Amino acid sequence: MTTEQIKIEHVNFKYPGGEHPVLNDVNLTIQKGAFVAIIGGNGSGKSTLCKLINGLIPHYYVGDFTGSVTVNGLDTKESKVADLSHHVGYVYQDFDNQLVRARVLEDASFAPLNFGHADYKERGKRALELTGLTGHDEEFIWQLSGGQKHLLALAGAVSLDPDILIMDEPIAQLDPFHAKEIYDVLKMLNEQHGKTIIVIEHHTEFIADYCKEVVLMDQGNVIWKKPTADALRLVEQLMERQIFPPQVTQAAFKLDTFSNKSYPITLSEALGLFPNQVGEEVAAHGPTNNSERAGRQSIVEMEQVSFAYKTITRSKKTVLNGIDLTINQGDRIALVGNNGAGKSSLMRLITGLVKPAEGKVMVKGKNTRECSPEKMADFVTYIYQNPEEMFIEDSVRKDVSFFLKARKVPEYEKIVDRILEQFELTSLQERDSRLMSGGQQRRASLAIGVAMNPSIILLDEPTANLDIATRKHITRLIGTLKDNVEAVLVATHDMQLVAEWANRVIVLKDGHVLHDGTRESVFNNRELLDLAGLNPPQIMELSRGLNMSPVCYTVDDFVAAVNKQFGEENNDGIQTKII
Amino acid sequence: MEYRQKLFDKLSVEQVKIELLNTAYGNDQTFLAKLDPRTLFIWYLFFGFAPWFIHNQAILLGMFAFVVVMMLIARSSPLIIFILCLGLLGQGGYLLLAAWFFGGDLSTIMPLLILTMKLSIISLASISVFTSMDPEKLSDGLLKVGVPGQVSFSISYAYRMLPSLIEEYHHVFLSFRLRGKAPEKHGILYWRSIAYFVKIAMLSFYPLMLSTSKRARTTVEALETKGSFFAFNNPKVKAIKLAHLTFRQRDYWFLTFSLLYVISLFIFGILYS
Amino acid sequence: MSQIQERYVLTSSQKMMVFILSMSLYGLSNMITELVPSAYLGPIEFSIEYFAFIPLTLCMLFHPLYAAVGAALGEVIFGEIMLGQFGGFGELEKFISFSLAMYIAGSLVKDPRNRKQVGIAAITGVIIHQFISMMVDIGKVWIGVEELEAVPGLAESIVVIEGFAFLNDVLFSGILFALLPTLYLVPRLYGKIEPLLGMKPRDNTMKFSTGEIVTPRLIVGGIVLALLSFFFEFLSETDFNVEWEADFGENFMWVSIGVSAVIAILTVILMVTRKGKNTKEGMDERKVQ
Repeated sequence: MTTEQIKIEHVNFKYPGGEHPVLNDVNLTIQKGAFVAIIGGNGSGKSTLCKLINGLIPHYYVGDFTGSVTVNGLDTKESKVADLSHHVGYVYQDFDNQLVRARVLEDASFAPLNFGHADYKERGKRALELTGLTGHDEEFIWQLSGGQKHLLALAGAVSLDPDILIMDEPIAQLDPFHAKEIYDVLKMLNEQHGKTIIVIEHHTEFIADYCKEVVLMDQGNVIWKKPTADALRLVEQLMERQIFPPQVTQAAFKLDTFSNKSYPITLSEALGLFPNQVGEEVAAHGPTNNSERAGRQSIVEMEQVSFAYKTITRSKKTVLNGIDLTINQGDRIALVGNNGAGKSSLMRLITGLVKPAEGKVMVKGKNTRECSPEKMADFVTYIYQNPEEMFIEDSVRKDVSFFLKARKVPEYEKIVDRILEQFELTSLQERDSRLMSGGQQRRASLAIGVAMNPSIILLDEPTANLDIATRKHITRLIGTLKDNVEAVLVATHDMQLVAEWANRVIVLKDGHVLHDGTRESVFNNRELLDLAGLNPPQIMELSRGLNMSPVCYTVDDFVAAVNKQFGEENNDGIQTKII
Repeated sequence: MEYRQKLFDKLSVEQVKIELLNTAYGNDQTFLAKLDPRTLFIWYLFFGFAPWFIHNQAILLGMFAFVVVMMLIARSSPLIIFILCLGLLGQGGYLLLAAWFFGGDLSTIMPLLILTMKLSIISLASISVFTSMDPEKLSDGLLKVGVPGQVSFSISYAYRMLPSLIEEYHHVFLSFRLRGKAPEKHGILYWRSIAYFVKIAMLSFYPLMLSTSKRARTTVEALETKGSFFAFNNPKVKAIKLAHLTFRQRDYWFLTFSLLYVISLFIFGILYS
Repeated sequence: MSQIQERYVLTSSQKMMVFILSMSLYGLSNMITELVPSAYLGPIEFSIEYFAFIPLTLCMLFHPLYAAVGAALGEVIFGEIMLGQFGGFGELEKFISFSLAMYIAGSLVKDPRNRKQVGIAAITGVIIHQFISMMVDIGKVWIGVEELEAVPGLAESIVVIEGFAFLNDVLFSGILFALLPTLYLVPRLYGKIEPLLGMKPRDNTMKFSTGEIVTPRLIVGGIVLALLSFFFEFLSETDFNVEWEADFGENFMWVSIGVSAVIAILTVILMVTRKGKNTKEGMDERKVQ
């Protein structure tokens, strides 16, 4: 009895005013103590499924609902949302809006207080302890970092000590380091406290590392539920739905030499399976500077630039120190480094929105100190991490035209048409940008930036918060930017983007330039990667682990390299080794 | 241009955070700050309202003296007091000028002075009371005296959301600025530029209305799962939440002293006139 | 708690959403207008008094009561408490007059697509709010000064100053920061913002529980009557020699209300006719009325 904790039977659901049912005869059982990942394309009903479990459907969303959902023996139709929250904790994708009190402890103990528990503070404290947030009790929530806020949202869900925790895309907004932190907390809650964990997740590499089971959804149906290893090995089924298995699994799939059963799903498994190239030395450091860069026209020049801002305690915090940097025509720069390394400040200095404390920033020969941000906008475009902050009009087309129209550019309509075409927005041009999907919004923000016809475009985390398929799409579109502008600078945690797109990588740490060179010079330097807290793509880790030289940046590179090696070596030797 | 820049500096998120923190943690070490909010409410109930109906100059002077002492104890910010004085003087001055225009004479000054004194007593009373309460204390106090739970929730929520809202507004505003085109001529008294900025300040609310709606939806969903609707006006929850509010000895002392002072003031005032 | 049956009625959570939305937005705008300095041209103040269009727009698009109360509370919290200038009783008075005015404005609109209704409601909201504020300010001096009538010139001057401020606010803030932006925003947001909160847009057939019992006209009438009666009651009680002064005061007020009403109506007519020229829809809508 205790084993079948969640039972969803023949559930159909349609949102009020919606045309199609979002859930279509869904059946699913989840055992107590499970660690389940729910995967599926956009609009497959993943979030809706999760809202069934905590009773928001059918109580909060009053749509057409049939079927039955039982959680811990309670029928959700008969129970109130408030009662169910003692059994199910929910962390939203936009968790930021889930935090409603001013201070940390106040927020963590909010639910226990509302339910009239006299020991609400202790409960809140315990939840904070479980999520590793001790010592922040009296801080304001806006003093926390993004990762800490996410942990706090989790603490709020844990505070009522529910048996089941649901997290909607727990790591979409986090850098790799904080992503791992969240999953480690979930793992601990699962293993040491026996909580059932359900996550909606796109990152199959995390699923492989942490989850025990996988549920695949498609168009409102639950297709199957399988143990993680079996699930991730169904590469074809997943790829069909735009879900990408871990890179090592994809590589094995493409190599044709493995049977379905033996596809590796984690890096360590893969290292044992693929042929190791003993003896070949990896070039420890590639060239640190592109010699071809010299002689090209410079767009941005920074000389001994430092920048500081006033903190809440009124002390000055130095964010950047002694930066010397030249950005040239044709540069596709990836700016990498941990949160707080100074990436955003560096970009804002180039826009002229903030001025350096010392040194000078020259853009196209103009000193930013002497130019207004409006003037600088003729040369520099900054694209916010949150595309919604770029949308000021009520349709995509108007937003893209805004800049050109304000400047009365002749025949701007034609330019707009061309740009809409380039970013595949022609069919969406009359829509309100704010009501589109994440990927569409991102495309619109790129189009707006390009329409401003700058010399240099600065992108802040352009691929954050997107599923892998959309991420690939955006990466490709960023690739087309070089036709529009002289240089592109991208601040990102997405190492796949860096590996596939950048021709120059600048590593920042604690306000200093730690390294400036080609991608090879970065990814071949283990020390540097560790020092800067960078997490290279899995396939690159694999090829380095196998002592391949040069390291492979994409799955296709890897497959080609291994196939080439097959050709050179005795075929039998390797194949027998693998099977 | 320079002034505009300063304005934007003021609007920066970090600056707002600093300001908020200062008001929130302001001065909780003063004698008044250690009193129970209800004590302060009771005190304010008299000093913030009674002066309207008292016309006896001696009593008003006595009350004025008391609130000035209170203000000193509360260590209110000099800036607020300066602004207050300026406002009072300005208002009185205008009234005086207009009254003379309508045939007033020197005898108009006295009633206006008394009116100004009344307003000062009331304002100083509210300043000393409310600067002695940080927002949390104020919201607890309001909850205790029967103001709906939604109000005290909203105060806390405002502290939570303001930095995010300002940041978003700032970004949208910048988008307008950087993509639009400021008028090339400033116009007489900069009116073109001012009109341009005021216009985009208003237009920036269109995007914000939509994005805040999205926020509100998640927030209210979360409130529902956290049982807030059931708790807002639940007496049991209120009792647990406000368990830390207690009348202490200093509360009784303070109220007794105030009462004695007012009574003796009235006796003296009536005898004097 | 929401029941499955009540599908098209606002649930308590939807009311809360409207409340939070209105509070955050108007609160934010209040903080901004507090930071923007005002310009004086003699006694005429050119300041951004308030972005009244925000609560007006929300009151017209959603349930007016929750939007109005949310906005008024937002002003008190963001504009006063958080800046450390909470003023006690003064806030109570602002809260009541503002939420009342916004609520009435919102209830006047039966169909947010009708620009005439929106325009009239917006300017009415501002007039009601400024009118109440003016009465309260005048009332304060009346109560505060002993034997006001004995002081030469004071009664007239207070009426003139407050009346002038009223006119100034209605004409300047009322048109620039309430009427025009509301006319711009309501049609843009209608049908777009409601689904974000999981609601159906307001339409002609929708009614509000309070609206069923008390019609807006009743409230407006009641308030005006109550204020006037309070006003005259007070005059008679203080043995005020009403003849000349009251005439003056009254006339002045009616003149100012009249002027602002005429200008407001002109704007509305202008907007409507311009829209009528552009689209046929505009014409149809007016015919239906």
